[in-house]
Amino acid sequence: MDLAIIQDLLMTGFLRGGLYASMAVGLALVFGVMNICHFAHGEYYVLGAYCAYFAFVTLGLNPILSLLVASVLSFLAGAISEKLLFYPLRKRSKGEWIMNAFLLTAGLSVVLQNLFRVFFGMKYRGITQFWKTTFHVLGMSLPADRIIAFFIAMVAIAALWLFLKKTRIGRAIRAVSQDENGAKLVGINLDRIQTLTFALGSMLAGLGGASMLSLSPAYPYAGNKPLISSWFVVTIVGLGNVPGAIVGGFIVGIFESVSFFFLGSGWQDVASLTLLILLLLFKPTGLFGTQIKSVWE
Amino acid sequence: MLEIENLQAGYDRLQVLWDVSMHIREGEFVALIGANGAGKTTTLRAIAGLLTPQGGCVRFLGENITGYPAHRICQAGISFITEELNLFQAMSVEENLLLGAYLCRNQNLIKTNLDKVFSFFPILAERRKQLAGTLSGGERRMLALGRGLMSNPRLLVVDEPSLGLAPIIVLTVFKTLQELHAQGVTLLLVEQNVTNTLQITDRAYLLERGKITLAASSKELLENEYLKETYLGKR
Repeated sequence: MDLAIIQDLLMTGFLRGGLYASMAVGLALVFGVMNICHFAHGEYYVLGAYCAYFAFVTLGLNPILSLLVASVLSFLAGAISEKLLFYPLRKRSKGEWIMNAFLLTAGLSVVLQNLFRVFFGMKYRGITQFWKTTFHVLGMSLPADRIIAFFIAMVAIAALWLFLKKTRIGRAIRAVSQDENGAKLVGINLDRIQTLTFALGSMLAGLGGASMLSLSPAYPYAGNKPLISSWFVVTIVGLGNVPGAIVGGFIVGIFESVSFFFLGSGWQDVASLTLLILLLLFKPTGLFGTQIKSVWE
Repeated sequence: MLEIENLQAGYDRLQVLWDVSMHIREGEFVALIGANGAGKTTTLRAIAGLLTPQGGCVRFLGENITGYPAHRICQAGISFITEELNLFQAMSVEENLLLGAYLCRNQNLIKTNLDKVFSFFPILAERRKQLAGTLSGGERRMLALGRGLMSNPRLLVVDEPSLGLAPIIVLTVFKTLQELHAQGVTLLLVEQNVTNTLQITDRAYLLERGKITLAASSKELLENEYLKETYLGKR
């Protein structure tokens, strides 16, 4: 086989993996800290895409500012939905939290998709590009948007890492993921940490949707594909494990681009699901499953 | 300092504590003793805010703290070291200790407290970069105590510190508590190891089936016939 094709496949997969990684990191964080199996994550991706679209096209802001607006708004949307929905549910559910929260996210996903439909219609809102250049990498010419979206994802992950490792609040988030009672007893206000965590997860999704706007336009149901792929990532690496989600993002990105090339789009999902089933059969804890619960150590 | 009046607490419809009243004065070392299932841990959980009392009143330093969430009770100055320790297993000893001072924004004070804890438990200084989950049972106990001290608590509440430890380490833990008391820390200790406990504490309460059945100075209790027969195992 042609070396150029392999290179091309790896590059596409790698760039796609960057997005999956940042989406999956959000999922892993939300599960690791709050024990929520988040099935409305894709809707925050779409929300980010819409925000970026309106900021860039309607308001005519520059790309960086548009992405910033999208991140801030998806952060706020995450915080508001946590306070409005998950917080009251947490106060009321006793032992059934995981199931209740999962059902709530599933319902939230449907509601948000239909709200998008009502407000924005069944119309694709995309742009051709944020940045009008092409980069030449290893003899391939790639649109600048792809490369920049990838770097934005990496910068977001690195920023999250610094935040979790180096700040007092970040340390508190990790503490909550490891031992909720211990966290309460050292004076950490759990309610605030939960809201912040959900907002951060939503922001990662929103930023992903915004930075990919030229490649996948905003559309009420545009969140389904990234949701499924990022769930695929967190399931194969083990739920609630952030560094695993990063590595997994790249594995899945490359796996998808290779299987797409060899099997075509119809069979791509079959290949992914087969891999998932085999993995769960032989290593149910996921590739990087650990004994001690923690989001990022 | 701490006054508990007619505390009722339990889990859903199962009431465990019935009219528990007790008090602790500043600088005292008080024990709460009793058999398995008497409600000792439930009492502590209700004081620390991990469990919302169903009735009664808890006052600390004159403030009514009944039903406060745990993080606010910590803020009020009570540090609770649970039986299961609730350490952050995947974090280093140092990070666990720093989290103990989560509410403190004064870096110098945190540093002072850290040094204080390290001088109390030199082994923790040695293991400062080691993960909490990899420590031995005794070291974990010390880390939990150290973490509890990092917030400069007015009252230290300790649940079963001798649980699951080798007898020699139990002695160390008891000595440490005694030393803390000597330095002016007010302590509430729950223990099943009644003899040792009564030897180091000032006063004690006996909890039986969710009710306080005896309250006296530890010296008197060591001589109490009923206690001798049922808990101290002497005739």
